[in-house]
Amino acid sequence: MFDTNKCIACQTCTLACKTTWTSGKGQEYMLWNNVETKPYGSYPLAYDLKLLEMLDGQQWNGAKYDGKTIFESAPAGERVLGWRPEQQDYAYPNVGEDDCAGQVDTGSFLSLPHMNWFFYLARICNHCTYPACLASCSRGSIYKRQEDGIVLVDQDRCRGYQECVRGCPYKKVFFNPMTGTSEKCIACFPKMEQGIQPQCFVNCIGKIRLAGYLSKPGEARADNPLDYLVHIKKIALPLFPQFGLEPNVYYIPPIHAPVSFNRQLFGPGAGAAMKAYRNAPNDMDLAALLCLFGSTEMVVSRFQRSGETITGSDEKGSPLVRVPMREPVHVRPAVDAANQLVRINCP
Amino acid sequence: MKHMNWKTAAAVAALLLAAACSKQVERTQEVVAIAAAQLPADPSDGAWAGAPEHAAKMIPQDLVEPRLMTPTTAEVRVRAVTNGSDIAFRLEWDDPDQSDTPGPSKMSDACAVQIPEKIEKDLPDPQMGKVGKLVQVTYWRADWQASVNGRGDTIRDLYPNATVDHYPFEAKPLEKGSEAQKEMAKRYAPARALGNVRSGPRSVPVEDLIATGPGTLSRGPSLGAKGKGVHAKQGWSVVISRKLPEGLGPNQRTNAAFAVWQGGQRESGSRKMRTGWIPLLRKGQ
Ligand code: SF4
Ligand code: SF4
Repeated sequence: MFDTNKCIACQTCTLACKTTWTSGKGQEYMLWNNVETKPYGSYPLAYDLKLLEMLDGQQWNGAKYDGKTIFESAPAGERVLGWRPEQQDYAYPNVGEDDCAGQVDTGSFLSLPHMNWFFYLARICNHCTYPACLASCSRGSIYKRQEDGIVLVDQDRCRGYQECVRGCPYKKVFFNPMTGTSEKCIACFPKMEQGIQPQCFVNCIGKIRLAGYLSKPGEARADNPLDYLVHIKKIALPLFPQFGLEPNVYYIPPIHAPVSFNRQLFGPGAGAAMKAYRNAPNDMDLAALLCLFGSTEMVVSRFQRSGETITGSDEKGSPLVRVPMREPVHVRPAVDAANQLVRINCP
Repeated sequence: MKHMNWKTAAAVAALLLAAACSKQVERTQEVVAIAAAQLPADPSDGAWAGAPEHAAKMIPQDLVEPRLMTPTTAEVRVRAVTNGSDIAFRLEWDDPDQSDTPGPSKMSDACAVQIPEKIEKDLPDPQMGKVGKLVQVTYWRADWQASVNGRGDTIRDLYPNATVDHYPFEAKPLEKGSEAQKEMAKRYAPARALGNVRSGPRSVPVEDLIATGPGTLSRGPSLGAKGKGVHAKQGWSVVISRKLPEGLGPNQRTNAAFAVWQGGQRESGSRKMRTGWIPLLRKGQ
């Protein structure tokens, strides 16, 4: 789960992934994790706009989707509606960085609400419930692990047909020209198997990320952080739900972006999610949970709030971390009387 | 002839030439492997001139998705020679674009010969065989050919202007070529670490594969696959050789099917042009 409101686009996540997994030959251009500035950023170039244009009539009827998914819209001879990025499309990984939605006129100054907006969208493979990459592979080289839902490309079986690259609407599979196979985010499975969150989660400076396991909608557990945020509070939403893959990265939408834009990205629940987030100061459990993001390396399966402290525990209920909702305030006077020194802030 | 003007003379000459050419290319309804002491390894080897040619009509692969919806390569011209233990095929098709650089959205030209594992009346499906009826596939790729021809194994060989600051497995204190260094390099090339034949570098541009139906293509026992492809203006000329099909005696028949991928048309995997089964006769004593 990613809280877009807290991302500062420092790209620490991008580099944490890059240094861990994609420093090899043929992986130079790959960013299994990327952070793009919306509305104009995208990697590969226009990955989202291209498919949004191709997919006809994305009609919502309230919370129900009346349009067609990319599986239902597959042209004759294809398994999904897809397209292939060209090499050049990977050449501008941070296009549109910090560009805001409109013109900022001379003489403007910062005011609230912002006269213009942009936000950062961090993206990894969504380890979709219905992965289009998997559906596209005619060889069955891609599999979704039963035990944890992680979607992997079998590097022994892959023959580099790049059908998965074509099929994934999020363009999160990459072809490696040196090994001749397609590669993708592996959700740091060796870490997840040990109950430790992936690299891009634990290295996140903005503490925007929380990894865990989501229950099926009917089996939501109120003490599971992800169940609480997705199923109960409905504050976190999937990216482009209309594509039909049920992506498993859930985003808390940016509250300073227009609701119409958020709806296009995150579906009809965006307005209510923004409202719920704004109300966090009056919603102690929600506020407490937001403090849990980035607080521990371990996967938190349960949480409990007591007063202004939230405790995250593992599956067996053993505490992993305790986080105060308010940090103590320390004031450092400008003059240190004891040492007769004037303090300065180093740049 | 004495009074023939130059135009008529040219026309007669052209006719004679055409007759001579058509006499050179003996066309057969099946693939006929002629016997020779030496197996030709090069597409331009003189031995091919003595072998008849079968021009096999190709159809798009339209059984399994993703299918090829628009036909591309119309025919593949096939000749065959055997030395009694191995058989060599020469496949030629028109494709002016030479596609032999791998990359995102870039596919490689390729071709393949498919032969049933057993010689029997009830043939496996021509589309990659079926369960219980295995087919042997010998597969050639243009990007492998380029690497066999000497293209290096670095990103600069594919993108000459690329600059790379740092590969962790090529940094100090690891000694170049040391076991520790190789071991670390493998960590960043999982397909190579697993021995996936698909990932280079390669010493031959072909591989031995087996299949029991669409989507089942996998590494096969070695049939000594070798090959060489040369691209000219008009298209590819590729030699693929392998062991003679088991039990194929002189003047006996089995079957073969062929497939061609044009990288320039984004063909790869199941997006390909293919033939049906074509009788393959081993001629000779
Ligand atoms: S995001 Fe793309 S690569 Fe990841 S599971 Fe979904 S379809 Fe596959
Ligand atoms: S590390 Fe965290 S805050 Fe920094 S760009 Fe990545 S997601 Fe955003």
